[in-house]
Amino acid sequence: MRYALLVQGAPYSSQASHSALRFAGALLARGHRLECVFFYHDGVYNAARLAAPPQDEPHLVDAWVSLNEEHGTQLQVCIAAALRRGLLDEREATRHGKSGHSVEPPFELTGLGQLIDLGLGVDRLVTFAP
Amino acid sequence: MILHILNRSPSSSLVYREALASMGPEDRLLLVEDGVQGALVSQARHFEVISGRLFALREDLVAHGLDGHCDASVQVVDVDGFVALTEEADKTVSWF
Repeated sequence: MRYALLVQGAPYSSQASHSALRFAGALLARGHRLECVFFYHDGVYNAARLAAPPQDEPHLVDAWVSLNEEHGTQLQVCIAAALRRGLLDEREATRHGKSGHSVEPPFELTGLGQLIDLGLGVDRLVTFAP
Repeated sequence: MILHILNRSPSSSLVYREALASMGPEDRLLLVEDGVQGALVSQARHFEVISGRLFALREDLVAHGLDGHCDASVQVVDVDGFVALTEEADKTVSWF
């Protein structure tokens, strides 16, 4: 089956990111395809490219990126939720006159319309909320 | 059949009532994260109306130190079983 996950919890504030990652690993192990993880609300903090957790802790950003590299999972971030939280890719940083950027590929800033498309296009959409 | 997923303990949030009220006769409920506290012998009475359709995630039970303390009415599944439940359901609804 084709799956997508909706993550609405921020790292370290809730269990949502860890629950979603564990579920992602399990569904892939069962032979399903994970089309996309969509980050919304405080979940957009999962896309912070400067996250630098202690080396003996799971690195959530790297774990998401691995999903993309190994399984082609798209990592989509709600642009409206991201910009107001200071999560900007290079293009948005330039557009808003900011000197740095905090989101980089494979994370991509997209609109909520993408989430609607996902809900219609995949077989299962599972939400992990705070 | 819809798989409902609840991550709140019945002792800290009443959202479980909304979840139960919205469930159809075939729907299932999976307790995850803090929600697994609802699987305890002392808490499972809150879910009497869906007897036989109540599940709890083993990994979260273990993380909370509650593995082995579940009510007999609760079916314990691991994350692989969680995926299986989503396969069997037409869709999922998360309550939080």
